[in-house]
This record gives sequence, C-alpha cells and structure tokens, in this order.
Amino acid sequence: MTFLGNRGGPVRRAALAGLLILLAAAGCSAPAEKAPETTAVNSVPAVNEVDIMFLQMGLAQIAEGQELVTLASARAGDPQIRAIADELHGQWASESGTMERWLLGWAKPVTADPSAGAHAGHGDLHALRDTDRRELAAAQGADFDRTLISLLLGNLHNGMETLRMESGSGSYPPARKLATRMIETRQAQIQRLLRLAAGG
Amino acid sequence: MRRRFSLPALTVAAVLGSLFVAASPAFAHGYISSPPSRQANCASGAVANCGDIVYEPQSVEAPKGSTQCNGGGSRFTVLTDNSRNWPAASVGQTVTFNWVLTARHSTATWEYFIGNTLLASFNDGGAQPGATKSHTVSMRGFSGRQTVLARWNIADTVNAFYSCVDLNIGGGSTPAPTPTVTASPTPTATPTTPPPTSGSTTWAAGTTYQPGDVVTYAGRSYRCRQTHTALNGWEPPNVPALWTAL
Repeated sequence: MTFLGNRGGPVRRAALAGLLILLAAAGCSAPAEKAPETTAVNSVPAVNEVDIMFLQMGLAQIAEGQELVTLASARAGDPQIRAIADELHGQWASESGTMERWLLGWAKPVTADPSAGAHAGHGDLHALRDTDRRELAAAQGADFDRTLISLLLGNLHNGMETLRMESGSGSYPPARKLATRMIETRQAQIQRLLRLAAGG
Repeated sequence: MRRRFSLPALTVAAVLGSLFVAASPAFAHGYISSPPSRQANCASGAVANCGDIVYEPQSVEAPKGSTQCNGGGSRFTVLTDNSRNWPAASVGQTVTFNWVLTARHSTATWEYFIGNTLLASFNDGGAQPGATKSHTVSMRGFSGRQTVLARWNIADTVNAFYSCVDLNIGGGSTPAPTPTVTASPTPTATPTTPPPTSGSTTWAAGTTYQPGDVVTYAGRSYRCRQTHTALNGWEPPNVPALWTAL
C-alpha cells in the first residue's frame, strides 16, 4: 500500500529524487519544499489512494465544468454569470495542469480505470449526459442562464465532495493543500451562483 | 520507478470500492435552489453557522415519509431549527421550485407539503430527471409566512431527498408581510427568546408567534393572525397580514 516503499534507504531516496526531478522539470516546485517529510522514521505513505482518486476524478469533473463555463462565457445573458465562468475557466486550467503533472509523475493514468468498479452503476448518475448538453445548447435567453446555473452548481457540488474527500483523507501534502484552496475558491463561487439562482 | 509506484489492479479496485463507502458516504444528490431552500440559504451564506450542510446542500437524504426538514434523524438538524430566522422569499399564489441535481436518480415522485396538506405531487414513473427540474405549484388556501416541505422520492432506493423552503405568500386579499421594510435586515442576536405566554407581552424580533397570541407594541395591542417568527421590520403596525390591531 505504500507508494514509496518502507525503509529502502538509498533506493527510496533515489526514487524520491527521481520523482522530484520529474516534478521540478514539469514546472512544479511545491513538492520540493515538502521533501523532508518523506524521511520521517515512521513510514507514512507520501501518496495514498485518495490522492490518486482525487486527481483522476477531479480532472474528469473539471473537464465537464470547462464544457459548461465555455458555453456560459459565450452565451450567458447575465454578465455576472460570464464573470464567474471566466474566472473558473482560468482557475481550472491552472489547477488541472498541476493535477495532471502529479499523476504523470507517479506514472498514473490521468483518467480513472473504468474497470475498477468504483463507479459501477452509480457514477454515471453524476456525470453530464449528452441529453443535458443538448438541453443546455437548445435553451435560450433566461432559460439558458437558469439551466446553466443549475448544471454548473451540480458540477461544483460534485467537485466539492471530491475536494473534501482529499482534504480530509488525502496524504500527499501538496495535493491536500491544493484541495483546501480549491474548497475555499469554489465555495465562494457557489455562493455567488446561489445568490443569482435565488434572484431569478 | 513505474513498478515501485504501481498497485496491483485488484487492490486498487478493492480500495476504491471501499472508499466510496468509507470516505465519501454522501455523494448525493439534490435540493431546491430557488426560491432558496433552507440548505441553499446555508450554502449561500444568507444564514450563518449551519455546519457541514454548507458544503453539501444536496445531501439531505433520509428514508421516505418524513415531515422534517432534515428528513428526520440526527444529521443536519440545523434545518429543523425554526429559531434561525430563515429568510422567506416573497412569492405569489403560484410558485416555481427549481432544483439543483448532482445525481439523476430514477424518480418515483416529487411531493410538496405545507404542514400536513399535500399541495402537489408529480409522478415521474421511474424516469431520470433531465438537465434541470422545475415544478410550478399552487399555494391556494395559504398566505403569509409558510414553510413548504419538498420530497424527492427516489424510485430504486428507500430514500428521499428533503428541502424546506420558507415563503411569504402574497396575492389574494391579504397583503404579504414585507421583510424589506428595513434597509438592512439585521438578524436578531437572541434567537432564544422564550415563546410568548398566553398573556400579553411586548413584541420582539426572533420570537415565534402563534395565531391568537397578543402582544403590545408602541403602546398598542395586537393579535397574531398566523404562525411566524418575527423579524426586525415586521413590527405589528407594518404587517397587517400577521397582526390585527385590537
């Protein structure tokens, strides 16, 4: 279950160094600051399954969110919706870049293995369906704004559950830190969207 | 390096499977966003100190058949706390309720109640909801401050999702109480005001009044016309829908 081995002194350090170099090369400097933690006597896994799941699921959720905000930026009538959409677009682009680099650094796929069974018979309920995309595309005017807010809030709430899972049970400190920051940012955006929904 | 960082596929599957039970019990599923339900008012920050519900307003899931705003049980009890001065949306005689869904469960019915009165029931016959879900419901026979309980009954589980929506119902001959009389709605800091006794007391914001309660305000007496929790700006002379001058 431990990703970095138990007490493998030189071998482990070499592996860590390789990992850090890889991450540094990918433009990610945060892990370097945390390197000393991995030398703790008790071997706490630096990365656990929750981290992997957070990154893989989070990337899938962000991809769906990006579909929505791209449409929102182009079509929403309310400028406040467009502002939130533009903001999310930029933040997600940056966050997902970091998340992908971590997975690539650990030689993990950036999408979850669909045969793993975690979502069997359930996960698809949380995903954006083609019918949802068509409904949104067909909606006009205030109807578009209302549909968009509803779908975007659904996406953000699903994302929030993944973020809270990571901040509560993840192991890799930079990933937990990222999740904690994303919780704050997303919650503020959810609040703005809810106020818009209540006003409409 | 690759070998060192990879887990046996079976382990991954087992762990991921168990995590969905252990680490994320909720992953649920829907609530009313407008007019804002109590959990929406918590999540939007309109009502403070609600606890974890602010991060998962969609998770008020409980066995079917409850008449409680939290579906019964011990979770999210803030939603049943009537001393919270829940903001009430001003509406007419028909109200369109809009849902936010995070999972599109096969649906048996959507039900709307005020007290024990079933206002409306929509039978989806096991269908999955579309991108959005809205219902327009008549408030006929009700006016003033009311709490609507909505239940989303899932077709293939024993559970339902609960949302309570506080409304000020206008229309008809009775003017709605207007909580916007004061420019700044100042939530009272003392929600623990004891309920009025049968005798006459001085009107106070934050107090829950029942029909028949008599209060004094600015030297005059008033009798309560319908159950409500008083807010600043709802002083008896301001809201004839709530108070009759004696």
